[in-house]
Amino acid sequence: MEYRSQKIAYWYFAAALPLFVLQVVVGLWLAANYTFTIPQSIVNVFPFSTARAFHTNLLVLWMLLGFMGGTYYIIPEETKSEIYSTGLAWFQLIALLVTGVTALVGFLFGWTQGRPLLEIPMALDFVVVIGALVFLFNVGMTMLKAKNWTAIQGTLLGGLVFLALLYLLGIPFYRNLVIDWYYWWWVIHLWVEGAWELVTASIFAFVLMKLTGVERQVVEKWLYVEIGLFLFTGLAGTGHHYYWIGAPRYWLWVGGIFSALEPLPILLMVFDTMHHVKERKEKIVNPLTWTYAIGCAVMHFIGAGVWGFLHTLPQINYYTHGSQVTVSHGHLAFFGAYALLNLMTFYYAMPKMKGIAAYDDRLGKIGFWTMCSAMMIMGLTFGVAGVLQSYIERVLGMGYMVAQGYMRLWMGVTMVAGVFFLGGLLTTVVDLFTLRPAKVQA
Amino acid sequence: MTKKIAFWIFLIGTLSSAALFLGATYDTHRQVGTLANVDKLSDQVVAGKRAFEKYNCNDCHTILGFGGYYAPDLTKVVRRVGEEGIRYRLKSPEVAFANSPRKMPQQNLSGQEITDLVAFFSWVGEINNNDWPPQDSKKRLSRGEQMMVAKVGVSPGAAVFQTKGCMNCHALHGTGGTFGPPLDLVGRGKTIEEIEHYIQNPGGVNPKAKMPPQKDNLSQRELEEVARFLATQK
Repeated sequence: MEYRSQKIAYWYFAAALPLFVLQVVVGLWLAANYTFTIPQSIVNVFPFSTARAFHTNLLVLWMLLGFMGGTYYIIPEETKSEIYSTGLAWFQLIALLVTGVTALVGFLFGWTQGRPLLEIPMALDFVVVIGALVFLFNVGMTMLKAKNWTAIQGTLLGGLVFLALLYLLGIPFYRNLVIDWYYWWWVIHLWVEGAWELVTASIFAFVLMKLTGVERQVVEKWLYVEIGLFLFTGLAGTGHHYYWIGAPRYWLWVGGIFSALEPLPILLMVFDTMHHVKERKEKIVNPLTWTYAIGCAVMHFIGAGVWGFLHTLPQINYYTHGSQVTVSHGHLAFFGAYALLNLMTFYYAMPKMKGIAAYDDRLGKIGFWTMCSAMMIMGLTFGVAGVLQSYIERVLGMGYMVAQGYMRLWMGVTMVAGVFFLGGLLTTVVDLFTLRPAKVQA
Repeated sequence: MTKKIAFWIFLIGTLSSAALFLGATYDTHRQVGTLANVDKLSDQVVAGKRAFEKYNCNDCHTILGFGGYYAPDLTKVVRRVGEEGIRYRLKSPEVAFANSPRKMPQQNLSGQEITDLVAFFSWVGEINNNDWPPQDSKKRLSRGEQMMVAKVGVSPGAAVFQTKGCMNCHALHGTGGTFGPPLDLVGRGKTIEEIEHYIQNPGGVNPKAKMPPQKDNLSQRELEEVARFLATQK
């Protein structure tokens, strides 16, 4: 840690981790809903829908906290200056946490906008917008005052502004369901396959540059090519969500072609990560942080690239759309691209903020491998359930609950894998909060 | 490759994709009125959409394939279970799903909300969405017809004949209505195509026919199956 104001990032990370744990606990409850019969009396007060709103909103909340913390950590080192105002950073952290907790409690009492992933009611949306404006102002002012522009900063700021603008489209009520979903995807798809990719690509480039010591010119060159490809395939690739919503037929072509290309930028990311690691100029001090970086690139490619590609062609998507195949892809992609990215950032920054040069990574290693294996198994079991559903319900037309009956066993296996995932996550969280210097090797 | 070339790759890639995307968005807005029957998007349909959101239905059910995967898709729910079937499930889910391993919460909906929701689902079911979902596609037999084919072992055409109301007017071997003529020998001297043609528009063949055209009642698949079945009655 070179600048005092970087310390604020620690509290963003510390707030994000317990929320991640809660997200996974609720996830286990969701899996239990698929595996067991939940009595009517419980369903009446705490239905699956409320739990799902918890699961997804917690995901967005902890990941955004991670991105913001990551941004506050990176910006001082990139701009070579302190953050414009740590007071504003504190205000914004508390505002976001209070809004998040209020929203979750509200869901329990049916206070919801009722649109998947965008359940937060309009009144709270405005608080989120104010928080986002404060954040952008703080980051933007730091960059403007320092005037040490770099491609990493520019990509980060661009991604964050894009992210905030897109959120606005999720706020209003739409009369027409078709238009509603059309713009719903501008928030969801253009976030995860646009704005979030920009933010993570720049955070990833920063950490990789610092870890490996490869020159900035080389790292930033690849950053440009990657984000160029991300946006080229990702923007028009939104079309793969418009196949069956009542939009014109040409979206089958636009969505099919552009999203078939979407794995390319991620593949490029894997190659240049491997390349940078091979051409490293620094010694490997903390092997676990490096493992996270490579793991993130590889799992990002598997979850988002391969799994996304598998069911993005219209001919296949006709049968898999809105089934557990989507769930399989969602879990692997979010974990690979964004959960591992955040955890990599935590493992890079948190030891530095505690003044530990080389940390003891025995627990952390167990956590990493448990989480990755458990999530890979979950991706496969969700996938098997999804293929069964597509075939029995959609191809054979045997009815929704008939298909669910055959899938039940696989959802049970998913739940068991989820317990292992929670174990891996708890190990990781405990490790991050109790980092110790590694014993000097003899 | 220099950093400058890399920057141009970024700029051109982004702008070309954005231009295509925004252009197609403009055109989608132009066409959505026809594809989604906006002329039938009444205030009641909108009220139904508000109720749909108020009770967070969409976090268990998908609609147009989006939402929670915990309960059946609702895009073509009117075609699948009928308006009365929807009302029953909304009003008394604890009874409707008493024997199901998966329950639906009792939300205590008002009568007005139920009516609005049915209007909303009816409108959604008519959106021209490339015939998704496959299980409710018009190219398929209905659920009831499929059951009869699978469990009773009747031919698809016989299943259509029994479930689509043909027997309210017509009889076969003494069973059925007497309002129209019995069809025991209808296949004599008529081809499948002629029967198909007649069913679609009886008045066009015989101006005195009282039978209503069955264009909306039957899908193309059902029409073909029932005609094939009737052609064997001779």
